Amino acid sequence: MAKVRIEKLNKAYGDAAILRDIDLSVNDGEFVVLVGPSGCGKSTLLRMIAGLDGVTSGDIFIGERRVTNLEPAQRKIAMVFQSYALYPHMSVRKNMTFGLKFSGMAQAEMERRVAEAARMLRLEPLLERRPRDLSGGQRQRVAIGRAIVREPDVFLFDEPLSNLDAALRVSTRVEIAKLHRTLGSTMIYVTHDQVEAMTLADRIVVMNQGRIAQEGKPLDLYYAPANLFVAGFIGSPAMNFFQAQVESVAPGMILLSGPDFATFKAPVGDARIAAGAKITVGVRPEHLIAPAGSGFSLNGSVELVERLGETSYAHVRAGADHPLIAEIRGRSAPAAGDSIVLGAADRDVHLFDAEGMRISAGAA
Amino acid sequence: MAQTAHIVAAMPRSRFALLMLLFLGPAISIYALFSIYPLIATMALSTFTGDATGAYSFVGLANFKTLMTDAVWSKPFWNASLNNFIFFCVHMLVQNPVGIALAGLLSLPNLKLRATYRTLIFLPTMLSVVIVGFTWNLILSPLWGVAEGLLKSVGLGSWFAPWLGLPSTALVTLSLMSVWQFVGIPMMLIYAALLNIPEELVDAARVDGLGHFRIFTHIKLPLIAPTIGIVSILTFVANFNAFDLIYSVKGALAGPNFASDILGTFFYRTFFGNQLQVGDPTMGATVASVMFFVILAGVCVYLFAVQRRMHRYAF
Amino acid sequence: MRLKPSSLGVHAVLGGYTLLAVLPILLVIMNSFKNRNAIFGSPLSPPTAETFSLIGYAKVLGNAHIGTYFMNSLIVTLGSMGLVLLFGAMAAWALTEYKFRFSTALALFMSIGIMVPIRLGSVAILTMMRKAGLNDTLTALILVYVAQGLPLAIFILSEFIEQIPRDLRDASRCDGVPETRIFFEVIAPLLRPAIATVAVFTMVPIWNDLWFPLILTSSESTHTITLGVQQFLGQYITDWNSVLAALSLAILPVVVIYVVFSRQLISGLTSGAVK
Repeated sequence: MAKVRIEKLNKAYGDAAILRDIDLSVNDGEFVVLVGPSGCGKSTLLRMIAGLDGVTSGDIFIGERRVTNLEPAQRKIAMVFQSYALYPHMSVRKNMTFGLKFSGMAQAEMERRVAEAARMLRLEPLLERRPRDLSGGQRQRVAIGRAIVREPDVFLFDEPLSNLDAALRVSTRVEIAKLHRTLGSTMIYVTHDQVEAMTLADRIVVMNQGRIAQEGKPLDLYYAPANLFVAGFIGSPAMNFFQAQVESVAPGMILLSGPDFATFKAPVGDARIAAGAKITVGVRPEHLIAPAGSGFSLNGSVELVERLGETSYAHVRAGADHPLIAEIRGRSAPAAGDSIVLGAADRDVHLFDAEGMRISAGAA
Repeated sequence: MAQTAHIVAAMPRSRFALLMLLFLGPAISIYALFSIYPLIATMALSTFTGDATGAYSFVGLANFKTLMTDAVWSKPFWNASLNNFIFFCVHMLVQNPVGIALAGLLSLPNLKLRATYRTLIFLPTMLSVVIVGFTWNLILSPLWGVAEGLLKSVGLGSWFAPWLGLPSTALVTLSLMSVWQFVGIPMMLIYAALLNIPEELVDAARVDGLGHFRIFTHIKLPLIAPTIGIVSILTFVANFNAFDLIYSVKGALAGPNFASDILGTFFYRTFFGNQLQVGDPTMGATVASVMFFVILAGVCVYLFAVQRRMHRYAF
Repeated sequence: MRLKPSSLGVHAVLGGYTLLAVLPILLVIMNSFKNRNAIFGSPLSPPTAETFSLIGYAKVLGNAHIGTYFMNSLIVTLGSMGLVLLFGAMAAWALTEYKFRFSTALALFMSIGIMVPIRLGSVAILTMMRKAGLNDTLTALILVYVAQGLPLAIFILSEFIEQIPRDLRDASRCDGVPETRIFFEVIAPLLRPAIATVAVFTMVPIWNDLWFPLILTSSESTHTITLGVQQFLGQYITDWNSVLAALSLAILPVVVIYVVFSRQLISGLTSGAVK
């Protein structure tokens, strides 16, 4: 178990910058998820922590050691790969002990570790089989087992659930969560799936185009996204965005108008916002419930309703033909063609300035 | 396949037959006529013997017996067979390991000049055997002195000998020339197989703490074993069919003193004759049949004993 | 940490072997441009202004038959390759697409030729050619080379055809396109990448082959360039200038074509057809 610290990490291939000035701290025993769209640099960052890719500039520390120039084997890490990377010509047992053999470990110790990992992951009946005789889920457990026997300071996961089917993904996700509780190790996990991020992480690091867009506890990112990117990335279906303009400013309040919603007052104390400023308003589909008070509200007509049971998604065209999604709960739902009035509570209305940064309610 | 069964069923039998005739006809007829039939005819001919008038009479396996036991025939036959075997051994011991090693080096990550090395090392394979034979003949010739000079410059001048001219070294020298020319083929095939190994497997091995050499011997080599098997059997077939190099350097007599005679040159000499003997079609056919059986035996050994044990790992 | 194999060692080995591969060729070409004294006096140095000489080339190119030999090789190689591609593609398509009662047996039958060398049947081939009056013709060579090249070509092309998405053929069938047109207009154009691979495995052995021209052609007008060079070398064995010039002339076209097309050739070889 160890903490991981990354300082001013940069990675570039020639002129193409992949990672820019990454600063990150992972605490001992924390489960941190790196999440973001394809190409954001999360896998590259993970590989650099592992030592599989080199550093252009910056430093990586695991525990108190500076590991920036060390080989993977010297960093006391273990990695679980997306396509499991099991050695096809070796049995499950041999796959797990292969790396240990070259570190001069005693036979008895190796066997103890394998037995322990096999018990934890229910691999005992599979130990003598070859990877080709295993299902996808079993292979992934073996890959995790191979990581466990190394007793590393940090576990690294590179999109381990991407190759599994939907049902298996859910059960393996739970396995990994339980594993973290049992072992209490530091774990760094990469995924593009924000559901995995939200459910597994102690802390989420959202990345975009080589930079960290925001990091924090999952629910903090959900309720208080720091910028437009994080607001649109976290949450499914994605947050609805509306163009708005500041009509007038008063102490502790601004008046916002826009083509798609009724003009309303928002409690904002940031003195830098002036009349005429362009603002983006964001409201999650699950917060567009029936009108409540004099806050944000809009009129629209229902185009299409997707009924999933107790939850339905209404695709609505509002104001100047602006598409949005509203989540409706309960047995009854509007029908296509209906008119609809939607609104949101003040605390569920997110405001972002012209640069896409969050404008907070209350004093600046 | 359900779909084609449907198509076949939907198409009238006669039209389907006509279609197959159009598509398969040319290939199968040329192949059967010029590849398979001659082979069978040759084997049939080996069971006959000719006399002075040119008439043939059936003698069963007598020719084979003559070839292997008769004083006049068996000596050159076994000499050629043994030489062919030595020829093959040199290739297996030098060409294939060198090819594997080169392929291993070429497949290392982040290797600069990889394409250049690959292109240049494969170059000799493109050349005609005539060119290769003659070029090396010149280089190794004591008259020109290039080889001698080069060896002298590294202090190994005493090693030099007219290798191609000495009965004791001619065969091995010719074998090495052939190796020089064809090492590109096992190199390319193994290189392709190595490319097939997913990067993640190598990454996992690095995380497990293996250095490059160990990754090659413990991970890559076992996984390319099927390809090595194919390379071996291809070498076997090519070697027991070889002729061109020996002929172009040493002529049909495969000297000095038949030291470089292999089955291919023996076959040529027997069938077409030369200044020492008249051409003998039936004995020539016999030699060809023996060559065929040797190659067939090797292929069968490969297919049944080796191929079965090998697992093709799908990634 | 980027992996750095001990670069020096690796490059030393690869570089050393490359030198071994290339040096003999360079030596021949270099010395072909030198006069006789320089060839023997300083074989390892490139031609200088004083030692430059084209005397060997003059003699070789003056040989009236060189042009004929070259044309013959061209006709035989290109002709064989064209037929191998056409017949091979049609057969490969028929065998992979239409599974009928004998298709597996036929496929096996065709693949025998990959392992078994056609040369062994030369006795009968020569007899056949004589009977058919095709002795000493380029046609005989082409027929033999096509028979030789078909098995491997069919094998390689089958692998390529397997990778063409089913949907393309199914869509054409739904559109009611007749089978022959499906092959020639839909499938054949998609086989273009395979042509490089088949070309390497087919053309080079044909161009460089010594055996069949030796056996099947007797007159100068039907010799191929490989046979021609071999006989020339045998004849002028003490005339070093001519010998080196002849070798260089034989080497240069191959080298030039190879270097120009090396990328396609090598990617064709490594494209996974060899599985």
